[in-house]
Amino acid sequence: MATKKYWKGLDELSNSPEFVQNANNEFAEQPPVEKFLESKNLGNEGTNRRDFLKFLGFSVTAASLAACETPVNKAIPYVMKPEEITPGVANWYASTYFDGRDYAAVLVKTREGRPIKLMGNNLSKVSSATNARIQASVLSLYDSSRLSGPIANGSASSWSTVDKEIGQKLSAIAAKGGAIRILSSTIISPSTKAAIADFSAKYPTTKLVTYDAVSYSGITKANEQTFGQAVIPTYYFDKAQIVVSIGADFLANWIEDYSVGFAKNRRVSKENATMSKHYQFESNLSLTGANADERTPVKVSEQGKVVVNLYNAVAKIVGGSSIPSSALPYDEEIAKAAKDLAANKGKSLVVAGSNDVNVQLVVNAINKMLDNYGKTIDLENPSFLNQSDDKAFADLVTDMASGKVDALITYNTNPVYTAPASLKFADAYNKVGLRISFADKADETASMANYICPDHHYLESWNDFNPRIAHYSLSQPTISPLYSTRQAQETLLKWSGNTTDFHSYMQKVWQERVFPMQGKYMAFPEFWNHSLQDGAIEVGKGEEITMASGADSLKAAPVAVKGAKKEEKPKEEPKAPVAAVDLNSAAQKINAAKSAGNGNFELAIYEKVGIGNGNQANNPWLQELPDPITKITWDNYVTMSPADMVDEKGEPIYDLMKRQDRTASLVNVTVNGQTIKLPVVPQPGQARGTIGIALGYGRDKAGSLSERVGTVIGKNVYPFTQMADGTIIYAALDAKVESANETTQIAGTQVHHTLMGREIVKETVLSEYQKNQKAGNADDMLTTNSGKIKAADVDLWDAFPRPGHVWGMTIDLNSCFGCGACVVSCTAENNVAVVGKEQVMKTREMHWLRIDRYYTTNWPNEGKEAKDLAKEKHEGAIAMYLDMENPEAINPKVVFQPMMCQHCNHAPCENVCPVLATNHSSDGLNTMAYNRCVGTRYCANNCPFKVRRFNWFNYNGNADFTFNPSQDDLGRMVLNPDVVVRSRGVMEKCSMCVQRIQAGKLEAKKAERVLVDADVNTACADACPTNAIVFGDLSNPDSAISKLRAQEKDGRNYFVLEELGIKPTVSYLTKVRNCEETVYKGAEEKSEKAEA
Amino acid sequence: MDTLFNKPQKQIFAIFSFLFLSIVFSSNHAFAQGGDKIFKQNCAVCHSLGSNTVTGPGLKDVFTRVPSEEWMHKWIKNNNALIAAGEPYAVKIFNDNKKTAMTVFASSLSDDDITAVMKYIKDYKEPAPQNPTSVAGGAAAPAEEGLNPLAILIGVIAFLIIIVAVLRGVRHSLKNLQNEKQGLPEEESVSAWTELKQWIYGHKRTTVVIILIILGGLLTSGWYALKDIGVYEGYHPEQPIAFSHKIHAGDNAINCQYCHSGVERSKVAGIPTVNVCMNCHKGITKGPTTGTTEIAKIYEAAGWDPEKGEYNKPQKPIKWIKVHNLQDFVFFSHQQHVKVGKQECATCHGEVKEMTTVHQDKQLTMAWCIDCHRKTEVPGMKNNPYYESMHKKLAEQYKNLPKEEQVITVAKMGGIECGKCHY
Repeated sequence: MATKKYWKGLDELSNSPEFVQNANNEFAEQPPVEKFLESKNLGNEGTNRRDFLKFLGFSVTAASLAACETPVNKAIPYVMKPEEITPGVANWYASTYFDGRDYAAVLVKTREGRPIKLMGNNLSKVSSATNARIQASVLSLYDSSRLSGPIANGSASSWSTVDKEIGQKLSAIAAKGGAIRILSSTIISPSTKAAIADFSAKYPTTKLVTYDAVSYSGITKANEQTFGQAVIPTYYFDKAQIVVSIGADFLANWIEDYSVGFAKNRRVSKENATMSKHYQFESNLSLTGANADERTPVKVSEQGKVVVNLYNAVAKIVGGSSIPSSALPYDEEIAKAAKDLAANKGKSLVVAGSNDVNVQLVVNAINKMLDNYGKTIDLENPSFLNQSDDKAFADLVTDMASGKVDALITYNTNPVYTAPASLKFADAYNKVGLRISFADKADETASMANYICPDHHYLESWNDFNPRIAHYSLSQPTISPLYSTRQAQETLLKWSGNTTDFHSYMQKVWQERVFPMQGKYMAFPEFWNHSLQDGAIEVGKGEEITMASGADSLKAAPVAVKGAKKEEKPKEEPKAPVAAVDLNSAAQKINAAKSAGNGNFELAIYEKVGIGNGNQANNPWLQELPDPITKITWDNYVTMSPADMVDEKGEPIYDLMKRQDRTASLVNVTVNGQTIKLPVVPQPGQARGTIGIALGYGRDKAGSLSERVGTVIGKNVYPFTQMADGTIIYAALDAKVESANETTQIAGTQVHHTLMGREIVKETVLSEYQKNQKAGNADDMLTTNSGKIKAADVDLWDAFPRPGHVWGMTIDLNSCFGCGACVVSCTAENNVAVVGKEQVMKTREMHWLRIDRYYTTNWPNEGKEAKDLAKEKHEGAIAMYLDMENPEAINPKVVFQPMMCQHCNHAPCENVCPVLATNHSSDGLNTMAYNRCVGTRYCANNCPFKVRRFNWFNYNGNADFTFNPSQDDLGRMVLNPDVVVRSRGVMEKCSMCVQRIQAGKLEAKKAERVLVDADVNTACADACPTNAIVFGDLSNPDSAISKLRAQEKDGRNYFVLEELGIKPTVSYLTKVRNCEETVYKGAEEKSEKAEA
Repeated sequence: MDTLFNKPQKQIFAIFSFLFLSIVFSSNHAFAQGGDKIFKQNCAVCHSLGSNTVTGPGLKDVFTRVPSEEWMHKWIKNNNALIAAGEPYAVKIFNDNKKTAMTVFASSLSDDDITAVMKYIKDYKEPAPQNPTSVAGGAAAPAEEGLNPLAILIGVIAFLIIIVAVLRGVRHSLKNLQNEKQGLPEEESVSAWTELKQWIYGHKRTTVVIILIILGGLLTSGWYALKDIGVYEGYHPEQPIAFSHKIHAGDNAINCQYCHSGVERSKVAGIPTVNVCMNCHKGITKGPTTGTTEIAKIYEAAGWDPEKGEYNKPQKPIKWIKVHNLQDFVFFSHQQHVKVGKQECATCHGEVKEMTTVHQDKQLTMAWCIDCHRKTEVPGMKNNPYYESMHKKLAEQYKNLPKEEQVITVAKMGGIECGKCHY
């Protein structure tokens, strides 16, 4: 037995009586039969048994009569069919997602002209990683809260009226020299910048201010001071052997999606048994911290000091002068990290999440010392994805407040919601004479504007993107505009007197600027068509659009070098020497940070994987996506260390959430005189004395979702961010937390399906793995009369013939970071219903694929196993895990495991179905015939993985579930027509995307060739940015999965619960951590079970 | 004897000459039919055999117009070449027909084909107008079929009951008469019900058997009635346009895929969009049975103004009524069956070519699907490399079965597993 204990939630760890009781109950709550029978109305309405029988008799007769009528189904073909559309066949278009936050080149799947699914475009060399938010964005297109046309002073208007009125007003303002400002999130579109430049030419008093809700301007500013380049560099995590992150959540929510690069160095195999090492110092338990090899919880106020001490520790080894510092409790860990960093000069990377310029200056200095520039950090090819200039934004607000701004146009930004409270943006906004918004909804800012000129959704738009030097991508409309909206760029062009549509305008810009940068195509139309088809292109380096956001720089937009590619510059040393930066004063400023006062907490504000900065808060898929760490849906909340939730005597101050994770205490959190009330959730790994709250919630004007669920979802913490030294700081060092003496219910998917100490996840450490490929992956053995054999090899039945394909899936736990993109992708592909908070609380979420998150701590009773201890104490083995209490729960390690139907070849669910609704196919799939299912739920009871989902209600018609997309005329358009929408009373589960399998097979059959990997992929594997999920045909020895299984056969490959003899189809690869624990016994046989 | 001998000789001669003539006639007939087929497949879309212009000119008396048959042959083969060469009549024809180019058949039709089609055009005679009485007779026939056997049965039973009642009364009267004659007292008047009960008491076993038979009959018929719920075999809704497959697919032999073009590319065969109809009906303004009324509905949908010859009206999609309805929880793919399985349309849809109004020809139940999957050895999978390894394995798996069971059917390849159609 491994000496580690995995637990899913605090109540499992602490093993409260309620938990034990509930663990034995399959369902958290009984079906409300008794409630129904006890209902008072039942008696009052006189519905007795006889009436019931009458109704029954009537309805049966009525139903059978109704069934006798032939249904009349209409079939309405196109009048003039577009040439490229064949009904029933999907069309794919290359496009790009960029919302000022996430960037990815995508492919859009459309059916009969409706976009229904996204996947990454592998032709992009910048990013093809579609995270959960990007995957869900296709549903945001069908948001019925979008504006159906322009709004003038609160009432619906027409484009011609709006254009006329705004044109007059702008001209008047320009004539008197009044200031016109465009406030926008980062724009990386060359054509949009050109359109804005045209607009500025017409109205010369125009200036562009770039402001992102979550800003990284601290890094820009630091680089300006250190190197004279106000840019965010490109970080090459794939080239870094040692990664030290201080509060940067780079796997989920940082500048770009770095998980792809990072994962490249995390894959281990027999041939390449090395991996990078990742240190994380942070306050909240972030997704990145959860995947770190060594994680140290650090107070918010001490994050900067950690950077300073790390600088000194590195300087000590590589020989450099030290800067003022103070001792920290984490100096030991810092010294360890510094040692590794110094040993890997040029192959390491230090990043910090803080937006404080001083912190970033010291980080720059460390990386400089480590010789990382030009190797793991590329300043020559900066990332353009975040160009926020917080200072310019603050100045703008000041100008607005003093009445110096006459017109403000907001584009793709919502500052009334996102600005720090101290800026008092709303007040300042009201002082602007002409307020125009391009928002597609009447959001917090737009609803205060004089005019809303709604922009298209990106899937309805033309656009171009320049995320990095020489990299371009395009987006193209994949559906006719659903509403009378108009593309913002076109609106700007119109106001500047240019009536060309944006498509032609964009082509012109490309012909003048991008086309000359390449030498591959001789004619522009050819170049344009190829670029549009590919979606993402790389060209020779020309002069790029600069990052500075002032209107002056706009006019100096790129003048491309004609013809051949420009010679790449040799990697220069940074222009200005580091010494010019006063590190000492920076360090002093950092050290001046005071920690929270007596009894108060330090607040770290973070973004969640699902909701992000909140621009898609109206998207039910994202609201229902459980947070990867807390597994909580439909809410934001205060995360607090469990140790901070009890007083000195160990008595709980707040609810420790031991009753199925539902009841949480409400607390009032006060920062700078502003108070919000939120539930408090115990979070193992949260630094003592700190709390965390996620951004993106509390949007009362995000759309109709809050009305449909009956309440505004969560609370807004943007006001708690603060402006300091010209940057926005996403933390508050003095947050008062008081109990509100109330409780509330929160919906976690946490401990619904406990696995009670069985070996579901397997892990080892790198040093063990290097010695033994099978470390941590010992087989369960059975002693039989013919010697010991593998438990999984014992079989009561003969194998079934497998004449055709044998589908298989393998998930590498080392590359899975738990980001949840697969969950949303699965939801979109398989029409998975959104069930809402109430139902999630009743353990009735419908996700076919969940990501289990296990906390792990070391078994403290060295040398003794739980069962022996239990015998000594005359208790059950489970009770023994109580011993694994507190100290280690402060900073547990975390494992993520995507869990879906394992398609067992001896499936326990199949045997118990009384109507044969679930059975096995000859290609190894456990299939579900919905129309056959009568809803006994025996299968769910018998499933060892608890992956079967039951339709308790008709989520597609029941008035309690109006937030479900399939209940909305528009939302319904996102449904995949190849997958049945399940009705009430049937069981459903992962089908391994059987619709894709069938379609892929058909392609091969039609082309008269054997099936290849490219023909079939599941939605989850498709969406996985790190390719942790591999799917394919095991019967084909050339398939990727066959090769992987062969390679890992005597290595990391294992099947969950295979000792039960269920022969799963899905396998996992042992997680390997690069840390120094040797708690595993290696590949020795773990235990000898009963004699066969 | 001579006469006896001569007679069979004459007969034999007669038989031989008849056979010879019929062979000649039938081979002639076959030749003409070849031209007929070629015409319908290649020419009928644009040319009528009458004098009316469709897309191209009507072909009645065409051979009196063209310079020579040789010219005609060249023209059919490659009209572009003739026009390009500046041949005056070719240029004239081209200009007369709004400079619409005719398809070049050089690659698709052989010289013999062209000769055949020319012969067909030459020999074609307009059919005599249809005999109205035969149509009436045809219409009357289904009405006769409409007599319900159940009604007959009920009628017979009612008749028998009446007879029994009458006979019972007669017997009662006769018995009384007889009793009166013999001076016996009048027979007590017993109600039929009491009598029946008395009979039942006397014949318990027979009664039980009768009841069981009736019950069995009711249950069986009930079972079949219930089984037919949701089975719409024979369903033939009235469509918004009285479109006749018989005229299009039958008489004019237009290939099914000309209109149902998705059948090899998609899961649905597709209902032709109005622009497909307009390919021909721009020219064909009048139909053989309904005249212009139904075709006018196409123009209405397409927004076509036949007077001006342009699309100048709003489009109105046609709301066809689906004839073949599968449940939503079944995934059926036409391309799998037609392109890969090489099945004929008629296998599932029946002889649509002969249907004036399309009806659902087969049950379309799951049992019907599975039945076919169990029996059918898929013709399309032979020589398809996709199936190669699977077939080897299956042949190995079933090699010990009797020869006739070694046939690799759809079912043996997994074609009756739930997950192949339900997901």
